[in-house]
Amino acid sequence: MQTILRKVFIALLVMTASAVSAQRTVNGTVTDGRGTPLIGASVSLKHRPHTGTTTDTKGHYTLVIPAGEDPTLQVSYIGYIPRTGKPSIKTNRLDLALNEDETGLQTVVITGTRTPKLLKDAPIVTKVISADRIKKTDATHIGELLQAEIPGIEFSYAMDQQVTLNMQGFGGNSVLFLQDGERIAGETLDNIDYNRLNMDNVERIEIVKGAASSLYGSNAVGGVVNVITRDATEPWTANLNARIGAHNNQRYGGSFSFKSGKFNSLTNIQHTHADAIDLGRDGDYSTVFGSKTWNIKERLTFNATDRLNFTGRAGYYFRERDKSADTRNRYRSFSGGIKGRYSFAGGKDDIEVAYSFDQYDKSDLITSSRNDIRDYSNVQNSLRALYNHKTGRKNVLTVGGDYMRDYLMSYQFENNGSKRQYTCDAFAQADLHVTDKLSAIAGLRYDYYSEARANNLSSKLGMMYKVGNCSLRGSYSGGFRAPTLKEMYMSFDMASIFMIYGNENLKPERSHNFSLLAEYIKGRCSVTVTGYYNKVDNRITTAWNKALNGMQYVNMAPLKISGFDVNAQVKYPCGFGASASYAYTHEHIKAGEPLTSSTRPHTATARIEYDRQWKSYGFCITLSGRFLSGVTTDEYTSVSSYEETSRQRYPGYAMWKLSLAQRIAKGVNITLAADNLLNYRPSYYYNNSPSTTGTTLAAGISVDIDKIFK
Amino acid sequence: MKRKSIFTALLTGVALLSLSSCNGMLDDIYDIPQESTPDGYGFLPSGDATASGKVCIDATDYKKWTYIDFRNKVCHTTEIGEDSTDAAPAEWDIAVHRYDTKTNGASVCETDENVLGKPLPAGAVFAEDVYTTDRIATDMSGMMDGNILYASSYYNEVLSRWLDVDTSNMPPAYTLSGRVYIVKLKDGRHIGLKLSDFMNPAGIKGHMTIDYYIYPQAEQGILIMNNP
Repeated sequence: MQTILRKVFIALLVMTASAVSAQRTVNGTVTDGRGTPLIGASVSLKHRPHTGTTTDTKGHYTLVIPAGEDPTLQVSYIGYIPRTGKPSIKTNRLDLALNEDETGLQTVVITGTRTPKLLKDAPIVTKVISADRIKKTDATHIGELLQAEIPGIEFSYAMDQQVTLNMQGFGGNSVLFLQDGERIAGETLDNIDYNRLNMDNVERIEIVKGAASSLYGSNAVGGVVNVITRDATEPWTANLNARIGAHNNQRYGGSFSFKSGKFNSLTNIQHTHADAIDLGRDGDYSTVFGSKTWNIKERLTFNATDRLNFTGRAGYYFRERDKSADTRNRYRSFSGGIKGRYSFAGGKDDIEVAYSFDQYDKSDLITSSRNDIRDYSNVQNSLRALYNHKTGRKNVLTVGGDYMRDYLMSYQFENNGSKRQYTCDAFAQADLHVTDKLSAIAGLRYDYYSEARANNLSSKLGMMYKVGNCSLRGSYSGGFRAPTLKEMYMSFDMASIFMIYGNENLKPERSHNFSLLAEYIKGRCSVTVTGYYNKVDNRITTAWNKALNGMQYVNMAPLKISGFDVNAQVKYPCGFGASASYAYTHEHIKAGEPLTSSTRPHTATARIEYDRQWKSYGFCITLSGRFLSGVTTDEYTSVSSYEETSRQRYPGYAMWKLSLAQRIAKGVNITLAADNLLNYRPSYYYNNSPSTTGTTLAAGISVDIDKIFK
Repeated sequence: MKRKSIFTALLTGVALLSLSSCNGMLDDIYDIPQESTPDGYGFLPSGDATASGKVCIDATDYKKWTYIDFRNKVCHTTEIGEDSTDAAPAEWDIAVHRYDTKTNGASVCETDENVLGKPLPAGAVFAEDVYTTDRIATDMSGMMDGNILYASSYYNEVLSRWLDVDTSNMPPAYTLSGRVYIVKLKDGRHIGLKLSDFMNPAGIKGHMTIDYYIYPQAEQGILIMNNP
């Protein structure tokens, strides 16, 4: 018996030894073009991406390659062009220098196609705002960031100082905001609560202008904005940050992430506070309400195998607005979800199943009674399945479907009642790489909304043709917005002044978007020109109903918007960079009809920056500006009659910001910013005027604790 | 087999989570609204029923006056309108319509105090009611067209300052003055009033809580001496 056991033991030893001897341990360093080590660069097997590691503080890595695997390594780092290479057989070493992605075209984007794709290959035009750009912009709010980066976007106030978006003629309910691809529950005056989109740990923001309902369904009429959170790729990271600005504007944040074995986690807490601002001049509003927010997020990923992983997430959000001495408005959200992703057929196929929960509540804290009374709750439970099948070199077939239960309790319903709606959809998309120069995309989606009894078929067709340094893209896409529960069932007494009624017979909004884009890239320069035309039928709005003696949601005449964007940018290795963008928006109004559009026709953004890095100190100084033209509009003098209008001129303005971001030693970043450099102050504060009282200063510090200890 | 178990557990978890949270979660963190004042309407019982206390009235209706009689501790409501046959009660001291006020031949001064019962500062100016045709709004439905309907009525501008309603923007902004107002009645009595709330516990506006203090005869003499 002992002899048998000895033989088995020896056999196992031999097998283990042979397996170990078949493994290869390779190492090397990853640097930038100037030889500076890149910390945290991802190094993985090209054909087995889950087998990989990250570089340490000296840019060094060590990777064990299992027996029988192709040793080709893929090295990538955010902001740099990925490279592949094979380690030397003799030395088992591979050193790679990555070149900076000056044009950003090597960025992987997902929003336009729902599959990861390099920006240079994406047939759907996607604008990306990177994490580095977010840091340099020193924006505290997604609105501030989008306005600084993209012309044609304006965040202003609607009634009661509620934030409202205008994106080249489209309002907040026609632009779909996503957080890591998930819808966001709740709205106020047709806009989501943008404060929920905390900028900590954002890897990038992707913006797709134009309709995208063939992939995303309702609300993707004017565009999609997808905020994508970074992955935890290092053993551990910890960051603490703080920012203090004018009007006691404070922001504090902390993040912790780890990657251990099959688990990785990312936790973030952010708190903001702002005092009320007395604007000191007349206007549609004279005081900006003070507010505070708390935002807590956790995401945990379990990589069960190389091919199967699960991601769970949970979040809590709280905002309080000091509306008056007697009432404080409170906004809360509770969100969570779980997602499983399985890839098979050698990575050519993958399937994703996800469940998502999002609840958004509004309540009023009555300061005299200390009662916190909820009067609004929107709860969305969604199930989603997505399947991707890759064929040939780069062809991708995407098939998916969603099911959502949408519950809404609202003070705007009779007796604070509630309504619910079920929606389901199915979609398919073919992303074809026809030749090296030509690619095409086609998609179709069917949506059904139970309460609205709305059926809709959205389609999309896009093509991209590359020739030399140019690429041309053309697309048609359909947009769709189902009537919301609010729009169907509202019965709201507006301060005893008039009633607003819903309409159960509303038809869905349907849009057609045509766009053409030409892009020219040479070296470190790029120029992009985009032209588009949008037609929206059955758009939903409120109008006076004589029979009801109140306002009612109705379908209105078509909206037609056309325009073009021009963008140019340049970036040199010496650290100098510049960009300028201009957007022209034109809403078609028939001759003789009132000019009711309040969209500013001309908007532009510009930026000049200089970035230098020495061994233990670096800085980036950025001067950025945005320009909004004035707009003249006709406003009806009466809510119950559409016969008389008065002409109103909203002035244009320009805002300049100077920021200095300094990188000190390991992981310490200090930012100083001066906003509104020209000390612009509106003579009258319209709802679409910037709520500035003149030049303001801000200072922020961010410490990456892990880098100090590494 | 192991993979099958993981999927089964995942799907069960998802199903349970979605069923438990269809209409939301954490309802308990909110307070349940009360549709009326905590102790009902009218004069609330107090330790010193004759001298001080609270009056709660429902002034949500634009077409009603609520008459308050501090001597008999009663409130009486009447309809406003051409068709109404309601008349003011025989005895009353002040009346409230929404946030507007009028008095029964009295005059009112605004003090700098925010606590009831303090002596009136010397030199205070009392204001009598004025007759108005554009203050007592009875129908706001035409407001956006500039067509608000008003009832002709006496109106006390000073006492009505107890709540500022700014309708220049929607929704209106409400600000309590927090001050004490002294009402000098025509029979010589002096009553201190302070509007302590204009909402019920559910946050519905138009539910007025008025704190009052009836000055004793001796103090009234001092008041009268200071303000002949």
